[in-house]
Amino acid sequence: MLITGIKSKPVYTPLAPDVVGHTHLLVGFGVGGDPLLRLVGELAGSGSTRSSRQLYYVSDPDLRLASTSAIEAADAGVIKLYTDTQALLTDFRATLERSIMGTRLYVAGPEAFMGLVMRIAAEFNLNRDEIRAEECGSQARRVHCIHCRTQTENVRTNIVTCVGCQRWLVVRDHYSKRLAAYMGVNIDAEVPGELPPIQEVFV
Amino acid sequence: MSHSNTIQVIVSAIHQVTPLIKHFVLRAADGSPLPAFSGGSHIIVVMRGGNRVYRNPYSLLSSPNELESYEIGVRRGDPSRGGSVFMHDQVHVGMPLEIAHPVNLFQRDKLARKHVLLAGGIGITPFIAMMEDLRSGAALYELHYSVRAPEHAAFKDRLTARHGERVKLYYDSAKQLIDIEGLLARQPLGTHVYVCGPAPMIERVIQSARAAGWAESHIHWEQFNAPPVGVAFDVELAKSGITVTVPPDQSLLEAIEGSGVDAPYLCRGGVCGECKTKVVAVDGTLVHHDHYLSADEKALGAFIMPCVSRATGKKLVLDL
Repeated sequence: MLITGIKSKPVYTPLAPDVVGHTHLLVGFGVGGDPLLRLVGELAGSGSTRSSRQLYYVSDPDLRLASTSAIEAADAGVIKLYTDTQALLTDFRATLERSIMGTRLYVAGPEAFMGLVMRIAAEFNLNRDEIRAEECGSQARRVHCIHCRTQTENVRTNIVTCVGCQRWLVVRDHYSKRLAAYMGVNIDAEVPGELPPIQEVFV
Repeated sequence: MSHSNTIQVIVSAIHQVTPLIKHFVLRAADGSPLPAFSGGSHIIVVMRGGNRVYRNPYSLLSSPNELESYEIGVRRGDPSRGGSVFMHDQVHVGMPLEIAHPVNLFQRDKLARKHVLLAGGIGITPFIAMMEDLRSGAALYELHYSVRAPEHAAFKDRLTARHGERVKLYYDSAKQLIDIEGLLARQPLGTHVYVCGPAPMIERVIQSARAAGWAESHIHWEQFNAPPVGVAFDVELAKSGITVTVPPDQSLLEAIEGSGVDAPYLCRGGVCGECKTKVVAVDGTLVHHDHYLSADEKALGAFIMPCVSRATGKKLVLDL
């Protein structure tokens, strides 16, 4: 089977404070706000200063429950709210440029969002022991077409049409951290149009 | 497994570079190029002195781009063990020696954005080769090199000629100390720190980095412990069915090798873990000197690193 049992699928764990770090960057999207707010409280309880906590958050327009007022009231030295992921990523990159060793990154939200954040973190050589990530929200995948290299966003089905080359792609569990996407491979190369059942699997 | 892969070399030059340090140049006996290595690697030099075989690790300080010869620096050490004294007093130009293939237990992190290197005394040697690798890379790097006094600054001219301003020297005699805490407190993201030198210096760098919030994956250090001298004891090798006495000035590993049993090793300095051996029984106390086993493992006493550790008491039985 093409789709499962591949070790590159990232494993995420609930966020917890890393009190060795002196600066804590908290980055989230949509329902990721809840674990970040919980973490802000835990970091405050562990004795870190308010100014050591910086919160960067994109509210999800699709979510009724996105409670931005709770984020705005968070116990953090820097609180930045965005309605657009790209704007957050631009600010996040600038923040990393200014940051020094001893910084920790905490990310929460859908994997498709976290992958973009962690890809920038990797450019700054933030390692696994400096990043913690908790997955929540949509399981929808970003799919990288291995044929035309176009990425299709927000994929919920096991088989999807590539937005670039229109090929039918099967979505593998093979995840690329560099591309922040799962690999999509043409499924009907031998007999065009002959497809397995299409199912909604990433909800 | 441990002895089969040695390379025959000839000592082609020896220079006394400081009052305590000699610089040796080794070439393959058959004239062929030596195996490729990366900066930070060490070799084991096998010295056959009378009725005694010494196997000491020395960092390669020559450029990884030059394989016609290997260069090592040897500090004349504690005379009670004798390996470095043998290198200083017995080894002469033209003499054949046997070496083990290079092994790197002190590699640079290839994804680092900046490298901060801290050397104390003879701890400079792995950095000389590592900086040749760094010279051709994109990442920033700087060396902070601390010695007792100017006459002890081995390879100083070579380093400043190659790396200029990136090399900073500190002389104890002039009361110049590396501000380790200050240095590590404000480094850009993606910096890695590397330290090689006396144990207190290594400990201070590790502690300072942690205190500044550095994650462990960014802290690198290397220290080859010479096997400490101890009290003689007997060791029984259960699988081989023999018992050997470990004299005060020999390591457990050397005594095992002396009995003809081929035990695994790589660093011979208590770092790499290759020689980790199961303790079958001990009537007495294990004296751990390695940096490999955790404090818990040492307390549990199920394993020992024979390259540097010993035992006291009546009997030690190993699964060898």
